[in-house]
This record gives sequence, structure tokens and C-alpha cells, in this order.
Amino acid sequence: MYRLAFKHFIRSRAVYIALVLFLATGIVSILIGRSFQEKQQASADAVTRLQKEQIERNVTYVNDQFGLLTYYLRFAFIDKPDPVAALAIGQRDFNASIQYLTIRGLEGQRYDTGLYNPYNQLAGNLDLSFLILFLFPLLIIAFCFNALSQEKEQGTWPMVKVQSPWPLTFILQKLSIRLVVVLALLFVLLILAAFIAGIPVNERLLAFTAISVLYILFWFAVCFVVIALRKSSSVNALVLLGAWVSICLLVPAAINNYLTARYPVKEAFSTFLKQRDGYHNKWDQPADSTMNAFFRHYPQFREYRWKSEKFNYMWYYAMQQAGDDEAAAGSSAMFEKLRLRQASASVAAFFFPPMHAQLQFTDVAGTGLSQHLQFLDSTAVFHEDKKLHFYPKIFGDSAVAGEDWAKHVPAYFRPENPVRWAALVTPFVLYIIVLAAAGVFLFNRKPAN
Amino acid sequence: MKQIRIIAGLFLKVVFRNRALAAIYAIWLLLVAFAAATGWKTYAGQQGIRTQMQQAARQSWEANPDKHPHRMAHFGTFAFRQKHPLSMFDYGMESFTGNAVFLEAHKQNTVNFSEAGFSTGLLRFGEISLAMLVIVLLPLILFFLGFDAVARQKENGTLKILLIQGAGFTPVIWGNCLGMFVLAIGFLLPVVIAVAVLLGMQDAPMAGGLLRGSLLLAICLAYLWLAGVVAICVSARSDSGRTALLKLLGLWLFMTIVLPKTLQSAGSALFPAPGKIAFDTAVEKDVLAIGDSHNPNDPHFKHMKDSVLKANGVDSVQQLPFNYGGFVMREGERMSAEVYNAHLQGLYDIYGRQNAVSAWAAFADPVIGIRNLSMALSGTDFGAYRKFQDDAEAYRYQLAQTMNELQIEYIPNAQPAKNEKPHQIGREHWAEFGDFQHEFQPVPTVLGQELPAIVAVLTWFGLSFVLIFFTSRKAKAL
Repeated sequence: MYRLAFKHFIRSRAVYIALVLFLATGIVSILIGRSFQEKQQASADAVTRLQKEQIERNVTYVNDQFGLLTYYLRFAFIDKPDPVAALAIGQRDFNASIQYLTIRGLEGQRYDTGLYNPYNQLAGNLDLSFLILFLFPLLIIAFCFNALSQEKEQGTWPMVKVQSPWPLTFILQKLSIRLVVVLALLFVLLILAAFIAGIPVNERLLAFTAISVLYILFWFAVCFVVIALRKSSSVNALVLLGAWVSICLLVPAAINNYLTARYPVKEAFSTFLKQRDGYHNKWDQPADSTMNAFFRHYPQFREYRWKSEKFNYMWYYAMQQAGDDEAAAGSSAMFEKLRLRQASASVAAFFFPPMHAQLQFTDVAGTGLSQHLQFLDSTAVFHEDKKLHFYPKIFGDSAVAGEDWAKHVPAYFRPENPVRWAALVTPFVLYIIVLAAAGVFLFNRKPAN
Repeated sequence: MKQIRIIAGLFLKVVFRNRALAAIYAIWLLLVAFAAATGWKTYAGQQGIRTQMQQAARQSWEANPDKHPHRMAHFGTFAFRQKHPLSMFDYGMESFTGNAVFLEAHKQNTVNFSEAGFSTGLLRFGEISLAMLVIVLLPLILFFLGFDAVARQKENGTLKILLIQGAGFTPVIWGNCLGMFVLAIGFLLPVVIAVAVLLGMQDAPMAGGLLRGSLLLAICLAYLWLAGVVAICVSARSDSGRTALLKLLGLWLFMTIVLPKTLQSAGSALFPAPGKIAFDTAVEKDVLAIGDSHNPNDPHFKHMKDSVLKANGVDSVQQLPFNYGGFVMREGERMSAEVYNAHLQGLYDIYGRQNAVSAWAAFADPVIGIRNLSMALSGTDFGAYRKFQDDAEAYRYQLAQTMNELQIEYIPNAQPAKNEKPHQIGREHWAEFGDFQHEFQPVPTVLGQELPAIVAVLTWFGLSFVLIFFTSRKAKAL
């Protein structure tokens, strides 16, 4: 009987068309993800070439003054996206994943954005995570909204009741057929993704799959509760679509609005001004005070002689450092505020599974705000390493030819981003259990009429 | 005409009897209030911060002591993007565009600190603005309240009675459409009031606010009329309320959620744009190719030097009556800015082609057309952003060249002696150079950029009457 019901469902033309449409959209979304990865790779290759070329060119032209040479030289620090990022592009399309920096002041460089068409950003990426987050629920709703009411409206329900001792089992059976079909669609898409976008089967892909499956189960549980209310097909469709509009569109957008208004990032602008003033005003101030401030930050460079006859690069880099030092408080206040935004969003997400799914997708793929903040933090460490490597050579007026330039290749960011399984799974499981229990209770509340 | 009025009245009576209406309207009011409040808070907050920052940057500029003008060219200044008051209505793409740019000689910096860069993944769910409520949510509400307007009368047989009494299908459709429109106005009213109040609270210049606002109102009305007509016609052509509802919901999903995103994705895939690294590399290559002002042996600048010396009848730059360093930099700035602007134009042309896919798609999907028009009139579209970028770049260029002129005029060619003070000019020159001013595009320019959307919306408006006409003729009572 189960097999018969399955065949009955899958052979319906509407179901067939829906599945083909979703499969096609899914493949498009995977191709979009692949092209995102290719673009990222192309940029990484381009910057690697560029860095090599510009080091060679500048080392040839500026071969007598180390301080002047490092004024020009730029070094790349790359946040290479995880393969899973092809499925959840998140904010990676507008948060720069390559930092290409000189050893001058950091704060004036690390917030530089890439070049983007803002209309594309506004429309957002049609990646697989979008398909799963926004469109899969609609497929589930379309499959389930009349699972029970249709039987009643077509008059077959009394027959079912006569034949089946447990109406609940019958409904669960019907839902399970639909669940199998939706999950099959998901797995087909994931397998295609693994092949098309070259995603290795590892813990991250597993986590992505887990989020998807749990999210799908959540929507089936929602449908079950609405079905259990035993309203007409029209009412079911409206209630379910209303639920979708509320928790997939309105509530997350409203919370985003709230976060934007509640935590305006004023510090970004003031830091921007401060780093410029902190550096530039030093040109008009006595060099001694700048140098003293520099030596307080880096006592290890005290022994270098900075009052030389030539233009003094030690003083120049000390002025640059002053810009960063004076902007440091504002910069950390800005990061603090962004972490607050992130934390508030995570708390709110606990109550709304679509938000939770979205944040988890981007966390797993390393395409969200938290990894971007980590990257910006690590950029500071990278910049500091470069500075500390070159400072002694600049201050000691080393020979440019003495440096092993071949070893200055782009560095890669290694994020610390383990999959947090408990945080990922718990909210989903809680919601699914509560909804399923509510559904069973509502279904059995009154005798089936 | 009287029949139409009676049927419209009947439609409204039935809708008012709908128990869900009060709840829906209450939620609607809540959403409108929320969107207006956050829109105002974000606008007022950001506008305050940015005005304050622009002033701080200006004070910092003017506070510089006497110094060499080229130091000032590198000191530079900042441009902060101002928000249009109507951005409280439609945020458009403002969350994704940069807000502040550092303007200095020799270098075109990126416009940084977009709201998106500060956002959690929630931004991908979109934002609630008054425009989003009207363009996305309101049609859904109208569909919900109107899907069974005709279909129900069909199901319960009252339609037959109406037709027997000689009403004819035409007044039935017209009447219901009119009823829908009145209903839509009822929902639009709080939005209009909210916008009027928000704009009234502003003492900032409106930048064509009244005209923009009136046009916005007109396109919203046309759009809601169209949404109502679609709902009624689908209802009239369906056998039952249920099928009408499913058709309308599918249509809504397709037109407001699926199609806009898919088409923009298609546009960006069809016309790939270079990333920042590729762009910068190309610019640098071209700049080096035409002349490197920092390279003493560069042929372009060597040739220029020879001709300048010849024209002035001297044999070294030290003897020139003006500062030669400034002269070279002026030329270098002109050349590099030309190259940069040509590349930027090329990039924008690619973006333009990407966006054109959506722009023309307005003929297939009116929602896209309305959205584009709404953003453009609210000063939050790509054109508005580009205007800011162009203004900022023009100001940057002017700043660099003004400092070069000052150097050419006032700085001697001879290097200062070892114990001499470095060459510098008086600080009064800093205040003489005016502050950055950002103005919004005039309304006719905005409308010119959105011509496809305007034609599309007008076409759709016209089509709504065709739809009524054909539905009236084709619809069946059973």
C-alpha cells in the first residue's frame, strides 16, 4: 500500500514539474557557486603574479633605499574560501578575501573594499543555500498543505478511516512519502554539487547536509501541525504561506533592521579620520615626540640611530605607526560593536529556524561575519609580522640585494572554525520535537470526523 | 456606472465581513510603523554621523599650519555619502554601497564601510522598508483578500443571479477591480501618512523631494491597481476559490521572489566584471605605458621637460619661473586620472549591461520595474551612488590639481639649504579651497535613466485594461 501511495504521489504531473524545476534551479545555483569559486581562485592567482612582478620591478628601480622600497612594496594575505563556500556564498561576495598591503599604516588599508555591482548584491546570490532556505519550504508546503484536507474535500477520507485503524499513521505515511521525495531531491543536488563544484566529502559538507536535512524536517513538522488543525485546503495554504512569509522574510529582515538601527557603526568613520590625522599631523610636530612614542611601542628599536643626514625613514614609519596607534582604540571599539551585532543575531536566530539555518550555513562555509572579523584580526597579525621583519632592515639601512625576495609570496589565512555540532543541531531538534508533539496532540484532540 | 459602484460596494462589504481583515490590518499598521521608525532612526542617525564627520574632516583640513602644498595633497580629505530623505521610504541598494572615501593625490581610493560589510548573514533576508512592504507584501495581502471575489460568487451561485439580473460580466469585473483599488488605497494610506510625517520632520533640503514623492505615489497607485486587477481577473477565470488562490500565490512568488533574483544572477553571469585586483593591474599597466612621472627617464616626461625648457629659453629647470615639480605632477595627475576614469567607465558599462537585463525584464515582471523606479526616485539606486562617486572623484582631482597649481606658483625650484626651513605656503590657502558638496541627481536625469522601467510600468498599466476587457468577454459563469 505504501508503494502504491508513493507511485500515486510521484506520478502526479504537478509534482513532476516541481521536481524538474527545482533540479534545474539547483544545478544553476551550483554553477553559480562554482563560478564564485573560480573567480576567487583567479583573483588569488592574479595577486600572486602581481606581487611577484611588482617586487621584481621595484627592487630593480629602488635598489639603494630600503625605506623607500617598502613604501611601494605590497604583500598579499588571502582568505581562500572553503570548498563548501560554493554552496553558501554568504557575504563573501562583498567582503574582500584578499588583503594587499604595504607595511605603512594598517588602518588606512585593511577596510578597502573590492569593486562590486551593488545591484547584484541587492538581488543576492542564487546559491544552493538560498534554494534550501527559501524555496525548499515552499516545495514542502505545496506538497503537504492538502495532504489531509484533499481527502476530505474529495470525499475519500471516510474510506480511509474505515480501512485504516490509525488515521494518524495514514497521515504520517503520506508525509513520509513527501519527505523521502524532498530528501532525495536534496541528496541528488548535494551529490551533483560535490561533482560539479568539486567539494570534498568532509566534516563541513556533512555539517551542511545536516543543517539542510534538519531544516527540511523542521518545515515538515510545521506542515504537520497545520494539517493537524484540520482546516480546509485554502486555509492551510494561507496559514503555511503566512508562516513562510513571517519567518523567512519579515522577522529576519525586521531583526536586521533593528540591529542596523540599534548598533550604528560610527567608530568606522571616526577611526578612518583618526588614522589619517594621527599620521599626517606628525609632519608638523617635533620628530622627537613621534620617535619617543614609537620607542614606547617598540622598545627593541631604541638602539637604532634615527637622526641621520638623509631623509629619515625611521621617522617616516614611526609617523605611520602613530596613525595606527592613535586609531587603535576606535578600531577595537568598532570590532566590539560588530561582535555585538553578531551575538545579538545569534541569540535571535535561536528562536527562528530559518535565521539559525542561514547563520549556520555561513558559519560552516566560513562566509559569514564572524570569519570575516577573524580575517581582519589576522590581517593585523600578518601586517605586524611584515613590519617587524622589515623594520630592522629599514632602520639599519640594509642592502636591498641582501633580502631573499623570492620567499615573499602571498600568505594564506588559516581560520579557526571548527563545526560546532551541538549549537548547530540543538535548536532544530528542539523545534522539531515540540512541533511534532503539538501535531500529534492536535490531531488526536478530537475524533476524526 | 451605477452597477459598477454597487458591485464595488458589495466587494468591500464582503471584505469587511472577513474576520481576518482586522488582524491583517493591525499587523500591517505595525509593520508600517516599524519600517517607518527604523527607517527614520537609520536615516537620522547615519545622516547625523556623516554630517558631523564631514565637518570634522573639513576642520581637520583647515586646521593645517603653513606647509608645502604637496603635503596637503597627500593629507587629503574625506567624502561621506549623504542619504536622500526618501531613503527612509526605500533603502534601495544603500546597504551595499560604500559610505566614505579618502580623497588624496595620485590615488583613487575605494568607497568603504558599506552597511553590508558590517552586517550579519541576516542581511541576505532583505530589509523591511516602507517600499518593500508596498511592493512585496501588499500585493500578497490584496491577493489574499481578493482571491475569491468572483470565484466564490461562482461557487455559491450568486454570480448567476447577478448575471441574470442583467449586470453582464463587464460591470462585475470593473466593480470588483474598483473595490480592490479602494481596499489597496486603504492599505497605502498609512504609508503615505508615514512618509509625509517623516519628510515633514526634516529640515534638510529635499532634493526634489516633493516631485519625487508625488511620482512615487503615482507609481505605487498604478502598481496596486494592477495587482488588484490581476487578482480579480484570476479569480474570475478560475473554477474555484482554491485554484484562484494557488494561482495567485504562485504568481506572487514567481514575480516578487524568484524572477528578480534569477534575472540579476543571469545578468552578472552573462557579463562578467573584473575584480579589484584585475582592475587595478590593468589601470597600473596603462598608466605606466603612457608615462611614469616618478621615473626620471620616462620618455613622455623627458620630452615634456625639453619642450618646457625650450619654450622658456632656459637650460635647466632651476631657472624656470615656476615650480617644475608641481608642473610634472599636474601632468601626471591629469594622465593617470584620465586612464583611471576610462577604466572605471568601462567597468560601469559592464555593470550597466548586467543591470540592463533586470531593467528590460520589467516588461516581463512589473515588480522589477516598480522596484527600479522606486529606488531611483528615492535616491538609493545605482545612478545615485554613481553620482556620489563621480562627485567625489571630481573633487579629489580638483584638490590635487589646486595643490599642484599652488606649488607651481609659490614654491621655488631650488631645494632649501640644509639649515633652512622647508618650502611652504600660508595656511590661508587651505580654507580658500571649498568643501566637498554632494548633490543628488535632478529628477529629469533620474527619469531618463529609468526609461525602460517607466515605459514598462505604463505598458503594464495599459495592459490592465486589456486584461479586464478580455476577462469580461471570456469569463464563464459556471
